[in-house]
Amino acid sequence: MDVFNDLGQGILALLTVQNILLLGAGVLMGMVVGVMPGLGPSAGLAILLPITFTLDPTGAVVMLAAVYYGAMYGGTITSVLINTPGESATVASTFDGYPLAKQGRAGPALVMAAIASFVAGTIGAVLISVAAPATAAVAATFGPPELFLVVILGLLTLIVIVGKNRLLGALSALLGFGLATVGIDIGGGQQRYTFGSTELINGIDFIPVAIGLFGVGEVLHTLWRGGHLERLGYFSVSSRSKGFWPTRADRRESRGPMLRGSFLGFLVGTTPGAGATVASLMSYNLEKSISKTPERFGKGAMPGLVGPEAANNAASAGAMVPLLTLGIPGSAATAVLIGGFLMWGLQPGPLLMQQNPEFAWGLIASMYLGNVMLLLVNVFCIPAFASIARVPFRVLAPIILVVCVVGTFTVNGSVIEVGIMLACGVLGFFMRRYGMSPAALVIALVLGPLGEETLRQTLLISDGSWVVFLQRPTSVVLLAVMAVLVAVPLLVPHLRRLVRARLEAVGRQRREAEQPEPRDRTTV
Amino acid sequence: MRISKLAAVTAAVLTIPLAACGAGDSGSGGGGAAAGEYPSEPLDWTIAFGPGGGNDIMARTIVDILQQEELYPENIEVQNREGGSGATGWGYLLGQAGSGYGISTTSGSFITTPLQADTGWQPTDFTPVGLFATDDALILVPGDSPIQSWEDWVAAAQADRLVVGGIGTVNVDFIVSSLLAEQSGYEVEYVPFNEEGQLQTSLLSGAVDAMVSNPGSILGQVEAGEMRPLITTADERLDVLPDVPTTEELGFENIPSMPRGMILPPDAPAEAQEWWIETMQQVVETEQWQSYIEDNYLTEDLRWGEDFRTYLTDTQEQFRTILEEQGAL
Repeated sequence: MDVFNDLGQGILALLTVQNILLLGAGVLMGMVVGVMPGLGPSAGLAILLPITFTLDPTGAVVMLAAVYYGAMYGGTITSVLINTPGESATVASTFDGYPLAKQGRAGPALVMAAIASFVAGTIGAVLISVAAPATAAVAATFGPPELFLVVILGLLTLIVIVGKNRLLGALSALLGFGLATVGIDIGGGQQRYTFGSTELINGIDFIPVAIGLFGVGEVLHTLWRGGHLERLGYFSVSSRSKGFWPTRADRRESRGPMLRGSFLGFLVGTTPGAGATVASLMSYNLEKSISKTPERFGKGAMPGLVGPEAANNAASAGAMVPLLTLGIPGSAATAVLIGGFLMWGLQPGPLLMQQNPEFAWGLIASMYLGNVMLLLVNVFCIPAFASIARVPFRVLAPIILVVCVVGTFTVNGSVIEVGIMLACGVLGFFMRRYGMSPAALVIALVLGPLGEETLRQTLLISDGSWVVFLQRPTSVVLLAVMAVLVAVPLLVPHLRRLVRARLEAVGRQRREAEQPEPRDRTTV
Repeated sequence: MRISKLAAVTAAVLTIPLAACGAGDSGSGGGGAAAGEYPSEPLDWTIAFGPGGGNDIMARTIVDILQQEELYPENIEVQNREGGSGATGWGYLLGQAGSGYGISTTSGSFITTPLQADTGWQPTDFTPVGLFATDDALILVPGDSPIQSWEDWVAAAQADRLVVGGIGTVNVDFIVSSLLAEQSGYEVEYVPFNEEGQLQTSLLSGAVDAMVSNPGSILGQVEAGEMRPLITTADERLDVLPDVPTTEELGFENIPSMPRGMILPPDAPAEAQEWWIETMQQVVETEQWQSYIEDNYLTEDLRWGEDFRTYLTDTQEQFRTILEEQGAL
C-alpha cells in the first residue's frame, strides 16, 4: 500500500528532537488557550500562527497541528468540567460530559474523551490517506443547495436534543434564530437590528452567547439551588483513586460510539461549512436513537460524550481533505492554515499535494503525532484538571465568572460582547429555571445564519425554484439520508418492541416446550 | 483529606494565570505628539482583520521589513483588532486622532464599510501615507466549461440567465461584476458568499456559472485546470496568466481594484506623515517587498500622501454611485 508507505515516511521524517519538542509545546499551548472559555482551535491557531513564521514550513505545521488538537481538547475540558463549550463543535460534549462531572466522574469522562479523540484522530489520518481522492470528488459537488441540506441535517438533531418538552425547546431554538438575524443581511447588504452599532455589523458571535448561557447560567443556577452551601461541594468525587479511571463498562459501551463517531465525523467534516458542529450533533443524535437506554442520555451517559468527541475530532481530519486535495478551506481553522500556507510560500490549490508531497504528508503525519502527544500529555494533566471538580462550589463559582469575563473579552477585545455574555448568563439562568434548552438556542444561532445564507443563495441561483434540490445528485442523496435519519428515531423503538415481543414469544414457546427441564432457562 | 482539598484548590487557582496571560497584551495607547524627533515612541499597529487574511499578511510583511532594515527605531506592537468588516480596527485608529504613533493598512472594506454602516469615520478622515498596490480581480469559469473566452461569456450571458458568485454584497466583487455586465450589455444574477471556500466549491460543483476572485487565492485552481480565467482587472496582463486579457484592452473603463495602502490617525503631525512617506518609499524598494508583490500577484500602484487621499475620494464616490444604481445602498 503506497499511502501507508507515504504516511509512515511522513511520520518518520517528523521524528526529530526539535519536532517532538514543538509538538509538546504546541499541545500544551493549545490546551492553555483552549481551556479559556471562548478561545477554541481557530482562535488558538490564529493567536499562535505568527509564532510559527520563524519556523520552517514543516516545523510550523507540526506545531500548528499540535496547537489545534490541544485547543480542541482544552474546549472539551471546559465543556465537561464547567459546562462551557469553547466552540460550537464541543456543545454536544456538555450534554453528557457535565452530568458525568457532577456525578464525580470527571476523571473517567476526560480520559474517555481523550481516548475517543485519539482513536478518531487515528482513523481520520488513515482515512485521509486512503479515501482523500474519493471524498474530495464528493466535496467538490457541494454547492449552496447541498450545504443547506447539511445545515438542515444539523437542525434535525434539535428534535433529539430538545427532548420531552417540545414547546419550550422550539421556543429556545426560535430565540436562537432571532439572535442570528442580527448583523448585515448577506443577501441585500442591509443592516438588521444593529441599532447603529458598528460592533454588531458582523452579528452576534457564538462565543459570548455560549459562555453566558452555559458557563454563567450554570453558575447562577447552581448558586440559586444553594450549591455553594453544600459542605462537600457541589462537585463531589466518590473515591479518589478508584473513580478516576474509566471502568470496564465505560470502555465497553464506548467502543461502538467511538467508531461510528469517527466515520460519521470524517464524512461530515469534508463538507465545507459547519462540519465539526454538525458532525458532533449528528453523532449524539445517532447514539441516542440507537441506544438501548436512551433515557440515560443527558444524565451522564458515556456514549453521549464519547460519540460527539470522536466525531468532532474526525471532522477536523475530514476538513483537511478539501484543503489538501481541492485547495479549499473547509473550516475556520483550515482558513487560518491557508493564510499560513501563503506566508510559507506555498500555493494552496488542487496541486498542493502533487507539488509539495513531503509537506502534505508531513501535515497529515503531524496531525497523527499531535493526537499521540495529546494522549501522552493528558495522562499527566487530567488528574490536575479533574481535581477542579473537587473544589467547593463557593470557591469555584467566582473563578468561573472571572474566567468567563476575561475569556470573552480576550477574543475580540469587545466590551459589548462582555455585555452580551453577561445578559446571556441571566437568560441562561431563567432558561434552566423554566426548563428551556440553552443548547437548542446555541445550535440555532450557529446554524441559522448558514442555513439562511445557503437557502437564499440556492434560490437566487435557481431563480426561486425549489426543484433545484432534486436536480443535483448529491442533494438527492442528502435528502435520502435525511429521510432515513428522521425515520430511524421514530422506528427504532417500534422495531425494538417488535423484536423484543418476538423474542419473548420464542422464549415462551421454548419454555413451554421445555417445561419438564427448568434448568435450561438460561438459554432464553 | 485536608491535603487533597488543598491540591484541588491549587489546581483551580492554576487556571487564573492562564486567564491573565490571555488578556495581558491588550492595547496600550499611542500617546500624543512627542517633543523632538519623530519616531521616539513605540508604534501601536492596528490590523483591522484577523490573522491569515490579505490585510494581515501585508501588514506583517511591512513590519518584518521595518524590523529587518532597522527603519523604525522603537518597538512595534502589532494587534489584530478585527470586527465589523474593519469598523472596529479603523474605529480604534480614529480614537488615536492627533497622534503619530497609531498606524494601519487598508483594503476594500476601508472604502465600502463606511458606505453601509454608520462607522463615525470616512476613509478621507485619516492621514494618508500612501497606496502601494492593488489586488486585481479575475472572472473565472469551471475548467470544463464550454466558455473559452470573454467573448464566449458575453454571448452566453446575453442568451441565458447566468449566475456569478463573489464575496459579499457591498464589495469590490459585486461592483466589478455589475460594471462588466453593464458595459457589455448583459444581465447577470450576482450571488453573494461569505467565505472563499464555499464560493470555490460552488463554482466547481456547477452551482454558479462564474465567480470573481483574486489571483492570489485562485491561481492554484487555474494551474490545475479546474478553473479558467476569462478577464483580469489589472492594468497589464499578469506574468503568470499571459493569455488572460485585461479589462482595459477590451475597452472597459473605471473598473476598480482593491486598494492596499497605509494610513495614520486623523490629524497626525505633518512630520509623522512625512517620515512615513519617506520610509515607505524605501520599503517598497526592498527585495522582500517585491517578492511579496510577486508571490501574492498584486499590481504595484504607488500614490503618496494627498494623491492617495484623492484616490480614496474618487474610488468611494464611484462605489457609491454604482451601489446606489444597483440598489445595494
